[in-house]
Amino acid sequence: MTATLALIRDTFREAFARKIFWGLFGLSTAMILFFLFLLKIDIVEGATATVSLFGRTNNRAADLDRLVRGVYGSIATFLYTFGMFLAVFASSGLIPSVLEPGRIELLVSKPVSRTHILLGRYAGNVLVVTCNVIYLVLGVWTILGIKTGIWSPAFLISIATTSFIFAVLLSVVVLMGVLFESAALATMVTVALMLMSPILAQTSTMMRLLSSEWSRQTWRTLYYTLPKVYDLGKMTLDAIQSRTFNGFMPIWTSALFGAAVLAGALAIFARRDF
Amino acid sequence: MQSEYAIETSDLTKVYRSRWVQREVRAVDGISLRVSRGAIFGLLGPNGAGKTTFVKSLLSAVHPTGGSALIFGRDARNPEARRPIGYLPENHRFPTYFTGEGMLDFYAALSGVDSARRKKRIPELLELVGLKGWGNVRVGKYSKGMLQRLGLAQALAHEPSLLILDEPADGVDPVGRRHIRDVLTHCEQNGATIFINSHLLAEVEMFCKEVAILHSGKVVLTGTVRDLTAGKGYRLSVPHPPELLVEQLRTRATTVEAANGLVTFRFPSRESVNEAVDLLRAQQCEIEALTPTTNTLEEVFLRAVQK
Repeated sequence: MTATLALIRDTFREAFARKIFWGLFGLSTAMILFFLFLLKIDIVEGATATVSLFGRTNNRAADLDRLVRGVYGSIATFLYTFGMFLAVFASSGLIPSVLEPGRIELLVSKPVSRTHILLGRYAGNVLVVTCNVIYLVLGVWTILGIKTGIWSPAFLISIATTSFIFAVLLSVVVLMGVLFESAALATMVTVALMLMSPILAQTSTMMRLLSSEWSRQTWRTLYYTLPKVYDLGKMTLDAIQSRTFNGFMPIWTSALFGAAVLAGALAIFARRDF
Repeated sequence: MQSEYAIETSDLTKVYRSRWVQREVRAVDGISLRVSRGAIFGLLGPNGAGKTTFVKSLLSAVHPTGGSALIFGRDARNPEARRPIGYLPENHRFPTYFTGEGMLDFYAALSGVDSARRKKRIPELLELVGLKGWGNVRVGKYSKGMLQRLGLAQALAHEPSLLILDEPADGVDPVGRRHIRDVLTHCEQNGATIFINSHLLAEVEMFCKEVAILHSGKVVLTGTVRDLTAGKGYRLSVPHPPELLVEQLRTRATTVEAANGLVTFRFPSRESVNEAVDLLRAQQCEIEALTPTTNTLEEVFLRAVQK
């Protein structure tokens, strides 16, 4: 336990030193402040009388609940797209840095298994991002709750889903880091997977468009194998908007992908000479 | 598991194979070595002899291709076997975001030292290596010598019974080297086994009791420093001896050197030097010095690797 905590603390220390933590924290704070100061909502009998943004007032009597859910949805979408990109960019250097000559020899000489070392680093990295996601989501949720009186717990699901999908994507960063010790390559591959996700998610359309069975099968294999960033984002949005969603397949297939990739990274790391 | 040896390797081999070209390098070639508990052991060898690969094999940083390595009787591949080891790597790169204290805290925690013990131990360590007052300074601001001493402190954090030091005096000035020697002497007195991998022969000769010399991945010579450097002859220095006598002694001596009127003869045996002394005394010549000759470790080393 002492070693695990030390590895997690070290990841935080490095994230602080590289300004990764503060960068993400600053961005989250900017968003929270945005909602705190720029979004003004006047409520009359449970419905919005006016909504003011950037000083411009909209007098449409919109349904307050719908508005809040819309804001939550926007933030969840932001987290899934821009936020995830940032988190991947920021984290991509944290794995190769441990593998630097002169540093890794000392780490592996300690009475700690290599699996433990890599998992400690991985957990620390996930926690760095999770802390920021919690801060942002809870901050916005609290401010909107206070301003509107609506405390929708569905939005809090995005803490779990965002952290989960980041953990899945981080496994790719870890694998690339262990294989090639290149932060740039780790970022490129992970971002490519993120970008492929919304395209692969158009399975039903593609099944109609693709002519051969072979290409349809390839598409399906890719869709079911690779992490479903888009589907998970959509699931989160559906949950926030109180819409129903079709099963938990995106969660468990993405989890399987993450576990398999992480296991591969651990196996390679355990066999490497330093 | 109790073993009389701190380190025991049997036919330890590491072969590096190129993935694309049909080429292999036997960095460690069947090394069988035993280092007793409490020994101060030096591993010597020219660059590329396989010293660092051997050390890394002991720590499982490198996976041996064949043979075995035991640490206090435990398979070196088992992480628990590394618990009694304190290691200072060559060309270490400590993360610069650490302060001295932070770095010691991190590595001590990885070595299994609990929080309360670390709080007490870290100031002691900083004082031991002469870095008292530097604990709150970032590692990036440390000089090379200070980094080396800090590295030594991290190796000592959990009071290891086996210290493996890879080029501990590398880049350290003479005062710093002396300090490191003092720290190691302190560890020796506490019963630790010290294994030093170095190319600084004078340092090893001064500190180690036993050495092994590696060349092309193989042990070419091993023994105590005393035995290896013991000479087989005598050096006799005579001020201003008569020319005739010098010529007479030249036939018995292996070498004759003259400098500033002082002629130094080297004789291969006790008998030959005694004959020389008798001759000199018969001619009433004064004798400046008579000493048994010894080899330096450098001479032993060069002979071993040039065979």
